[in-house]
Amino acid sequence: MQPFALTIGKPDTARWIEKLRESAEVIAPVRGPCGDVVFSTISAAAQVLWDFENPLYPPKQFVLPQTDPLIKIKRSGKRHEVEPVHDDSQRILLNVRSCDVKGIAFLTRMHAAEPADDFYLARTNSLTIISLSCTTPCPLGFCVCSDSGPFLRRDYDLQLTDLGESYLAEVGTEKGEAAVSRAPELFRRASEGDVALREKGEIEARRHFGRETCHFASAMRRISTGRVTDTLWEKMSDWCLECGGCNFICPTCYCFSVKDLACDGGWIRCRLWDSCQYAAFTLEASGHNPREDRRKRMKRRFFHKVSGQYYLRDGAVGCVGCGRCVKVCLGATHMPAVVAAVRKGEWHE
Amino acid sequence: MSDPFIPEIARIVRVADETPDTKTFSLQFRDAKNGDGFNFVPGQFIELSVFGYGEAPFCIASSPTRPAAVEATVRRTGQLTDALHKLGTGDEVGIRGPFGNGFDVPAARGKDMLFVGGGIGLPPLRGLIWNVLDERDRFRNVTILYGARTPQDLVYKDELKQWASRSDVEFRVAVDMAGPDWPGTVGVVTVLFNQVTLHPETTLAYVCGPPIMIRFVVRDLLARGFNEEAVISTLERMMQCGIGRCNHCAIGHRYVCRDGPVFNCAQIRELAE
Repeated sequence: MQPFALTIGKPDTARWIEKLRESAEVIAPVRGPCGDVVFSTISAAAQVLWDFENPLYPPKQFVLPQTDPLIKIKRSGKRHEVEPVHDDSQRILLNVRSCDVKGIAFLTRMHAAEPADDFYLARTNSLTIISLSCTTPCPLGFCVCSDSGPFLRRDYDLQLTDLGESYLAEVGTEKGEAAVSRAPELFRRASEGDVALREKGEIEARRHFGRETCHFASAMRRISTGRVTDTLWEKMSDWCLECGGCNFICPTCYCFSVKDLACDGGWIRCRLWDSCQYAAFTLEASGHNPREDRRKRMKRRFFHKVSGQYYLRDGAVGCVGCGRCVKVCLGATHMPAVVAAVRKGEWHE
Repeated sequence: MSDPFIPEIARIVRVADETPDTKTFSLQFRDAKNGDGFNFVPGQFIELSVFGYGEAPFCIASSPTRPAAVEATVRRTGQLTDALHKLGTGDEVGIRGPFGNGFDVPAARGKDMLFVGGGIGLPPLRGLIWNVLDERDRFRNVTILYGARTPQDLVYKDELKQWASRSDVEFRVAVDMAGPDWPGTVGVVTVLFNQVTLHPETTLAYVCGPPIMIRFVVRDLLARGFNEEAVISTLERMMQCGIGRCNHCAIGHRYVCRDGPVFNCAQIRELAE
């Protein structure tokens, strides 16, 4: 379909969201009980935040849950039956930032590749993504470095942009069109002036990025050709506390392990998020562990995210510049720091 | 096998004790029609479910020329294998697969075949060995060299006797340590190279065993004039999905579960990150 743009007055958004809630679970950033901003299912339009710091946990959990049930294993006596568990309930992700939309697009590309992952695709096929472009960049974000923001050109179903009195609603897909058609009376065609205001907003936003930058291209050249010394990896990995936090808050990390969880006298086979920074990630039953050294594990993480080999396969670096790893990494071995060290060939002592 | 994540139910039809901690399980698909799509080549692996414990990768130890049962030889070494060892005839497990590339059997026809196995590294070779022996006239000399720590650690003891007694197979075995009642060779498996005639130009060498054994065998074979392309091994990694997604088995941008587990030495050298 041909993309088009509408606008909705700010006071009308509440009525629209209530309409959306009639047919789908609406998930949006809300203020949690302890004051944190989190993505959560809303029970009223008033809960939805429009001006907020991006939640520490990306909305990844709604397409790839931390504990993701795949198969139900039923047992009666010695006999077992297995059946797949598909989750295709209708969900709408509202006010998702551009980086997180790119994160989901990355994961979807991964899981749609042969052999397609029907469990993942069942979720994303019934998911509508309504993004909220970033007119004010977040303090630690560097999405401009990996073409993941602050505004989107694709990968959204519907992109909202704050125009002051109203929101511009750019319809990108049929799912986006369906979302606006839940309350067509609240939307009107965007004028050329509205679109011009959005373009101006994007240019303005690009001028106001914070301190973090990430020059992937030159780091990619070095990482892809093995020109980063073991000594440098060693020095950097000395700072890593092996907490796995970078993996779990990363919108593009998807490594998993498989476990059976007891349920109703049988089991649910689940895939669970795992971390390539854990020593046990590659530990074999024999005791052999090809990545026992922390240095090798850190090298692995950044090879997967930044190497040209993976760039060619995935069509993007495995980083959307959300800045979450900058925030959670206790050892300061986050993406911008490592990319900078790889470029310069040195790490602070 | 439409969905790669959904296991097919299989029944254990036979359990053979190999060593004090190793058993061979013969498996048959419970729902016969589901077994129809299970076509494999030696060197491929399955994800074996022990319900309640998850699943783990095991090489297929049987040959496609003997399709009555799929076999896996398993050492008891962790929770899942411990639970598997407690199962017996008639008990159910799950099978996903086959996964991986496997050995290129058609390309090996007309060649001399050298198998070098170490300890629990014999099972991946066993499927290929029986495949070769069942099509014996398509291959030239067949040499099997097998080493283990002690005579007790030798797997497939009955089959070793069969191979030893065949006139169309050169079979040698060595153990690292043995009592006075051991009549055979004592030493690491590489000492057996001097007991047989090797033809590096016409031979494909298949090496499988613990990493340290592979390293010394490969070094020895290359020194004896083998090409890196002619020395073939299977890599072991903690493969959980079998389809290149979970990333446990990744080496650089290659996945042992999809691009391997069978690689020749030239390919292994290029696996870098």
